[in-house]
Amino acid sequence: MAEMFRLQGQGTSPGTAFGQIHLAVETEAMFSSQTNPSAERAILLDAVQVSIAALRALAARSPAESAAFLEFQIEMLLDPEITEMAAGRIGSGDGAALAWVTALDDYIAGFEQSDNDDVRARAADVIDIKNRVLAAMTGKSVADFPAGTVFVGKDISPSLFLAHDWSAGGGVVLFKGSAASHVSMLARAKSVPMVIGTGTFNIAGKTQLLLDGGSGCVVLHPSDEELRQALLTPLSMRQSADEGERPCPTAVRTADGAKISLSINVNDLSDLIGVDHAGIAGIGLLRTEFLMSSAADIANEDRQYGIYRQVLEWAGQKPVTIRLLDLGGDKPVPSADKGDWTSFLGLRGIRLLLARPEILRIQARALLRSAIHGKLKVMLPMVTLPSELERTVTIFREESTLLERCRVNHRIPPIGIMVEVPATALMLDTFGAADFFSFGTNDLAQYLTAAARDNAAVADIYTHAAPAIFRLLAHSLQIAANLETPVSVCGDMAGDPECIPGLLGCGLRHFSLAPVQLVAVRSQIAQFNADGTMAVDK
Amino acid sequence: MSNKQDARPQEKDHVTKQWQTEIEVIHGIGLHARPSVIFTRLAKTFPCTIEIEVNGSSVWLNGKSIVKVMGAKIRKGSVLKIRADGIRAAEAIAALKELVEHNFDEGKLHGRNV
Repeated sequence: MAEMFRLQGQGTSPGTAFGQIHLAVETEAMFSSQTNPSAERAILLDAVQVSIAALRALAARSPAESAAFLEFQIEMLLDPEITEMAAGRIGSGDGAALAWVTALDDYIAGFEQSDNDDVRARAADVIDIKNRVLAAMTGKSVADFPAGTVFVGKDISPSLFLAHDWSAGGGVVLFKGSAASHVSMLARAKSVPMVIGTGTFNIAGKTQLLLDGGSGCVVLHPSDEELRQALLTPLSMRQSADEGERPCPTAVRTADGAKISLSINVNDLSDLIGVDHAGIAGIGLLRTEFLMSSAADIANEDRQYGIYRQVLEWAGQKPVTIRLLDLGGDKPVPSADKGDWTSFLGLRGIRLLLARPEILRIQARALLRSAIHGKLKVMLPMVTLPSELERTVTIFREESTLLERCRVNHRIPPIGIMVEVPATALMLDTFGAADFFSFGTNDLAQYLTAAARDNAAVADIYTHAAPAIFRLLAHSLQIAANLETPVSVCGDMAGDPECIPGLLGCGLRHFSLAPVQLVAVRSQIAQFNADGTMAVDK
Repeated sequence: MSNKQDARPQEKDHVTKQWQTEIEVIHGIGLHARPSVIFTRLAKTFPCTIEIEVNGSSVWLNGKSIVKVMGAKIRKGSVLKIRADGIRAAEAIAALKELVEHNFDEGKLHGRNV
């Protein structure tokens, strides 16, 4: 056997792990927002071939009854008609994943809408085919590694870390680690032992490895004695992990005693790590366009459902406001078609979703299904007209009816709007149908000042938007009070201590901000009165 | 199994080699997963084109495509027309008709569920 070999890294998640090494292979991102139709077609055909091969392997080791079912899937994938369905959409500018999912969803809807039970039952078979190819396209099934092994590589993506089944043990060793801070937090939260910064080391064959996430020690080919010692100590190391996290006061009040709610904005599941659940009112804004890194995620209802459910379960009884995909503007659209979506004044937010309802319907189904796992609220971005809200609500109702027919557990959540277009703020009385309002001050500022927030040449104008915003907010909050519709603010201003007095003065009592801003904003609020004036004492 | 008719050549068979038959599907759950696999596999063994039409819809679908056959949502009681055009068309029609009449050979598929 090979000799024992010791390496020193930096422990970032305590605990001891021992197992077979899984050496990560560098993979290229398969999805970019700008790609050509023939490349997208090749991605789809590859994914179909990969799926067929996987199904054949599965069928070979399955009993006859299930093999027959797998054969059906193989036949379906061998039929050129199935890729042909998606080809037209790729030709008109869709990425492979989105084209595939929307084409298959149409086909599946044909079964789901039947009045015959046997025909409806076929939908499940085709959904399985859809998801298998989608997974092959994102490379997720390929990228995952065997349970119980120790992941060794340059870096590990948060999505891979979260997707992996850690229940069988295992750990992580990273050659580098500067970019791994997110994953380190995730590892601590899941008690997965992890060591970073070992530098690249050569491992060949079926090497076994022992790592100590407390001391940062990594041992290749450990001796029996080494193993025995390591396994004696793991528990004591875990205890000290969560020190330094001070509990936050649950109630936030102004100097004169007005109760203020502070929620958090979340862009990534790892944002939740380290957040004191007791110290917040809930999640005021979950930006789904950041949660989904690829076009394949946007097209993947089950993956979205999994993410939403995870967040809702984390929040427990506290409300979670999930915003529909806010694509367009400075956020790329998963399509090869460039169109006019890069404009801040063009097809973005709910405008884009209503123009591409197939994307909206996938997200609506994922949200309807996840709603049963917590206190979900759904928020529409970039709403300008009441009809945009009505059309979106109609789509949620239609998808709910379809889920009902398929006996899928779900619930229609409260649906509210972002107020970030000046016309919407002025005309808020026409949005009585909304269940809540949340002010997005970033876009409101750029539209009020006609100064694009990504243009450095007008940055000075943009930063002077606050007085105009306060004036508009005061007007809108009066209307909201008459409608008795709950109001919050979730833009950057909510996390800026300098803006807090002004926002309080407008009458706002619910702020949603990045978790890192909680401490500063909380102490600022305590120094001001509810009307935004400085408290005299202290 | 009412309504079934024998495979018969159409008027212009000697010129076009086109054959057609009509049959009622009596299989318990219609022409789905497993039956579709068997049907399209058999259809694909013939060089002629094979098309199907359901319940007089006048929409003719590629009978060698399982995606199309599944999509036709053929159920018990559906009236299925099959037409074949080209080399061995008559033989294809006879074989496919027999397959549907014999419940997609389920009796021979020991222990296999649909």
